[in-house]
Amino acid sequence: MSSAALSSPVSSSVGLRRALVRNRGALIAAAVLAILLFIVDWVSAGPLTYFDVSFLSSGGATSALAAIGQTIVILAGGFDLSAGAVISLVNVVLASSMDPMAPGASIILWTAVGIGVGMAVGAFNGFFIAVLRMQPIVVTLSTMFILQGVTLLVMDKPGGFVSPDLGTFYLGDAITGWLPMPLVVIGIVLLAWFWLKGTRFGTALYAVGSDADSAAAVGIDVVLVRFAVYVIAGGCYGLAGVFISAQTGSGDPLVGNPLLLSMFAAVVVGGTRLGGGQGGPVGTVFGAYILMIVVNILLVLNVSAYYSTIAEGTILVLAALAGSISHTSVLAVQLRAARARLAAWRAGILPSQLERVDRRLKIARPSHDRRSQASPRPAFHLRNAETLRYALPAYVCLIIIVVVTQIWLGRTILNPGYWNSLLVLSSFLAVLALGQGTVILTGGLDLSVPWTIGISGIVLAGMVNGSDAALVYALPTVLLIACAIGFANGFGIVYLGISPIVMTLATNGILQGCALLYSQGTPAGFSSPMLRWFMTARLGLVTPIVLLMVVFVVAAVLLLGRTPFGRRVYGIGNGLRAARLSGIGVERALILVYMLSAVCAALVGIMLTGFSGQASLGMGDDYLLPSIAVVVVGGALITGGRGHYLGMLGGVLLLTALQMLLAGTTLPYATRAILYGLVVLGAVMALRERRLQ
Amino acid sequence: MGIGLKVRRLALLAGMAACAFGLSAAQAAEKHKIFLSMSFIGNDWQAEAANMVKAMASHKSLADKVDLQVQVAGPNAQRQIQQINAMVQAGAEAIVIFPISPTALNQVVKNACDKGVKVFAYDAEITEPCAYNVHIDQLEAGRVTAEWLAKKLNGKGNIIAITGVPGTSVDDQRTKAAKEVFAKYPDIKIVGEAVGMWSQAVARTELSKILATRNWDDINGLWMQVGCFTANSMQLEAGKKTSELLPCAGEGSNGGRVQMLPEGTEVEGAASPYAPLGAPRISYASPPYSGALALKLAVEAIEGKDVPKTTILPLPVVTNETIKLCDEGTWAEMKAGCNAFKPSLVSNPGWFASIFSDQTPEIGLAAALVGQPEE
Repeated sequence: MSSAALSSPVSSSVGLRRALVRNRGALIAAAVLAILLFIVDWVSAGPLTYFDVSFLSSGGATSALAAIGQTIVILAGGFDLSAGAVISLVNVVLASSMDPMAPGASIILWTAVGIGVGMAVGAFNGFFIAVLRMQPIVVTLSTMFILQGVTLLVMDKPGGFVSPDLGTFYLGDAITGWLPMPLVVIGIVLLAWFWLKGTRFGTALYAVGSDADSAAAVGIDVVLVRFAVYVIAGGCYGLAGVFISAQTGSGDPLVGNPLLLSMFAAVVVGGTRLGGGQGGPVGTVFGAYILMIVVNILLVLNVSAYYSTIAEGTILVLAALAGSISHTSVLAVQLRAARARLAAWRAGILPSQLERVDRRLKIARPSHDRRSQASPRPAFHLRNAETLRYALPAYVCLIIIVVVTQIWLGRTILNPGYWNSLLVLSSFLAVLALGQGTVILTGGLDLSVPWTIGISGIVLAGMVNGSDAALVYALPTVLLIACAIGFANGFGIVYLGISPIVMTLATNGILQGCALLYSQGTPAGFSSPMLRWFMTARLGLVTPIVLLMVVFVVAAVLLLGRTPFGRRVYGIGNGLRAARLSGIGVERALILVYMLSAVCAALVGIMLTGFSGQASLGMGDDYLLPSIAVVVVGGALITGGRGHYLGMLGGVLLLTALQMLLAGTTLPYATRAILYGLVVLGAVMALRERRLQ
Repeated sequence: MGIGLKVRRLALLAGMAACAFGLSAAQAAEKHKIFLSMSFIGNDWQAEAANMVKAMASHKSLADKVDLQVQVAGPNAQRQIQQINAMVQAGAEAIVIFPISPTALNQVVKNACDKGVKVFAYDAEITEPCAYNVHIDQLEAGRVTAEWLAKKLNGKGNIIAITGVPGTSVDDQRTKAAKEVFAKYPDIKIVGEAVGMWSQAVARTELSKILATRNWDDINGLWMQVGCFTANSMQLEAGKKTSELLPCAGEGSNGGRVQMLPEGTEVEGAASPYAPLGAPRISYASPPYSGALALKLAVEAIEGKDVPKTTILPLPVVTNETIKLCDEGTWAEMKAGCNAFKPSLVSNPGWFASIFSDQTPEIGLAAALVGQPEE
C-alpha cells in the first residue's frame, strides 16, 4: 500500500479502493474478456447478437464450471489433476444409464447423479489428502488414472444416450432472448460460493490456503476444511460433466481429459494465485471464457492452423501479464530495481564497483578440534534420516514389483535382459526427473517439457538425417535451443512475474507451433547410426546408454547435493524471501533451474530420436505427467524444498517396472490403468506427513 | 434468402465465370465458404490429410469455387464444438470435419444442418444422421488383417497385439473384429497386448516392455494398428536375419511399405531399417485422402448434386504380392498400381503411403507432401 493511501483520511473511497485491490485479478480478467468480445464483434461480419452470446456462453460453460471447482481447491492450497477424468466419468455414467425409451428424463435427478458421482470422487481424494495427509498432486494423479480405467469399464467407446430434455434445459434460455441458461447455472454456482465465502467455513478455507499451520494454531479444523474442499470441487466437476452431457447428448470416455491443462490456465488468468489464499472463482469464470473466445478470434482473423497454438500461448502470457499490472507486481519491482541499480552505477556505488576488501564480520571461530570432540560426526543413517525416510519407500515398492513380475511372468530377476530393458526405458524419465525435480524443488513446475522434447527431437532428426558427422554440430545446436527455451521460461517467471505454470504452459504451446512450422507438419529425417547404436545396441549385457546413465546419476546427485547451485535450489524452495535475504542471487539461480530443465528435456528428445530412429510430433506428450509423478513418488515435496535425486530415481524405476509388469500381462487397458493408479497411491502412502507434535 | 436460391445463384455465377472471362473480384467474393476443422495437428496423418485437403481446394477445378479456411481444434471435443458454432456464425456453406468424437458433436452438427450448412466428416464418423461421412470400414480393416495373419501362421502360434487409442470407436472396432477372427483359431494365442496410441514411438516402448520378460523366439506373429516398421527394426537389432522377420499385420506407413519390397531392390535414399527387407507384411490404413474427397463431395453437395450420406472408402490393402515402388508418385502412376515411395522423396518413414483414390485424380504425392495439386 502506498504512503499516500495511508495518510489520506479514512473515507468510503478507501473501502472502495481496498475492494478494487482485493478483486484486481477478477476485474482485470473481466476487462480482458470485454476487450476480446469487442474485438470479435469488431472483426466479425455482423454485430454480436444474442444468438452469438448464447453460443459463447454454452461453449465456455463446461470449463468454467470445472475451473470453479479447481479454483476452490487451489484457494485452499491444493491441486486437483482428477478434474478432467471426473467429467468423463460423469458423462459416461449418464450416457450409459439413461433409457432412450423413457418418455422424459428428470433434470433434477440426473443432475444430482452427476454431482453425486463428482462428490464421491472428491471424498476419495479428500480422504487421502486431508485425513491421511498425502500430497494432493500424487493422490489426484492416481485418482485420474483410476477414473480413466473405471470410465473405460463403464463405456469402452463413444456412444450411449443422454436425454434431449437435459440439453433443452441446460442450453436453452432462462429468459427468452435475454438470458441464456448456461450463464444462469454459472451464476447460481457463484452465488452459492459467495454464500459459502461469507460463512466461517469460507474464512477457514482462505486461512488454510494462506498458511495451514497458522490456521491450525488458531483452532481451525484443517482436516475437515481440506476434505470438504475436495468434495465441493468434485461437485463442480460433476456439474460440468452433466453440462457436457447435455451439450453433446451422448457419452465419450475421452471427452473430459483434454480439459485439464486449460482449466489451470483459466484459474491463473482469472487472477487466482497457485499455492492458495488469494483470488476467487469469479475471475476464473472470466478466465475460462477468455480462453474459449480465443477460438473465435483465431477463426475470424483466419490465423493459419500452424500459428494457432503460438497465438494462444501469446494470449495466455499477455493475459497473465495484464492481470499482474500494479505498483507491486514483479515486473514493476524489477523495473524499479533496475533503475536503482542504474543510479547506483552512475554514482559508482554498486558493490561490484567498490574496492575489493574483506567486509565480512569478524566472529571468532571455535577451534575445529574442540568441536569434533564435543560432538562426533553422527552415523550415516542419522545424518540422512530424512532423505532415507522419503526415498526408501520407492525402492521397497520397486523390489515388491520385481518379485511380483518374477512370480507372474517369470524370467525376471536372473534375466539380464529384463534389467537392461528396465534401465533403458527408465533412462528417459531419469533424465527428465533431474530437470523437473529441480524445478519442483524450487517450488515451480515445468509444463513445457512435452514440446521441448518434441522440438529437440525434430530439429535433431532434421539436421542429422542419418549422418554421424552431422551430430557434431546438431547436438550443440539442439542444446543451445534448449538453453534459449529455458532462459525464456526463467525470464518470464523471474522478471515478468508470471506464474511458472502459466509461463511454461504458454511456452509449450508456442514450441508446438514452432515445431509444426519447422517440420511443416511431417518431421523429416532420421537418427544417425551412432545415436541409434547408443540407444539400442548391446555392449555385452548392457546398452551403451545405461553406462551413460550411471555417469548422469552421479553427476545429478553431486549437482544437487554438493554444489552451491544445489544449495541455492533447496534454499529457494524452502523460502524465497529467506533465500533472497541470505544473499542468494535468486533471479540467476531460478533462470538456471529452468535452463537445466529444458536441457534435460532436450536430452530426452535426442535419446528418444535415437531410440525410435526418427522423431515424431507429439513424441513428448506422454512424458509430462509421469515426469511430475516420479519426482513426487520419489519423496519430493511439490511445494518445494524437500527431495533427493536418488529418491526420484527410485520413483522412475518403480513406475517403469510397474509398466513393464502390466505390459507383460494381457489384462485389459482399463484394469491396467486402475492398477497403475492404485500402486502409485500405495507407494506414496508411506510418504505421508506426520502429524505435527 | 433461401438456401436453394442462393445455391442456384452461385451455380449460375460459376457457370458464367467459366464461359466468360475467368475470375473477377466481384465473383471471387461469391466463392463457396468452406471451413476445415481438424483435430490434433501434432500427428503425421493429420498434417498429411490437411495438405491433401488444401491441395484439393487449390486444384484448378475447384480453386475458382472454394474459399477454404483451416482451423485446428486440438484434442479437445469441447473446443471443436465451439469452433463449429463459430464457423456456422461466420457464414460457412460447408464444414469439413475430422471429428474428435463420433458422438459429442451431434448436437452442434444438427444445429449446423438446420441452418443449411453441409457437414462432412472424414476418416472417423459422426453419428448424427444429417452429417455426411467419408471413411473406411474399420471392422473390415480389423478382420482382413487378422485373417491374413492367421493364414500366414497356419492357424497356430503366439502373437502380440498392439492396439490404438483406447476409448475411440476406431480402435474399438478394429480390435474387436480382429479378436473375433483370432477366437476362431484356438491355437492362436495373444500372449501380449499393449496400447500403441497409433504411434511408432509408443509401439517401440511398449514392445520393449513386453520383450523384457519374453523372447522374440517365443513369438510367431504381430498384429499392430501402428508399429510394424518399428517391430522389424527391433528384430534386426536383436540379431535376427531379414529372412527370419515375423509376419506383421499393420499400418500403411511408407517405411513399412519400403521394408516389404524384396531384399536387394535398388531404392534411392534407402538406409536400414528404412530399406527393402522383404518383410512379410499386410499393410492397411485409413487413407489420408478422405478429407480431400470429403471437400470435393461437399462442393458437389453445395452445387445441388446428390451425394450419399455415407461414403465407404475401399480398404487400401497391400501385401508382399502387390507391393510396387513408385517412380515419381503422380496420380497416373499410382493408378497403374504403385503404392510405395522412395525414401529420397519421402524422408519420413512414418508418413502414410495410402494416398491413392480413383475418385481424386486432382491429388498425388506432391499434394500429400506439400499441398500441391496435380496439373
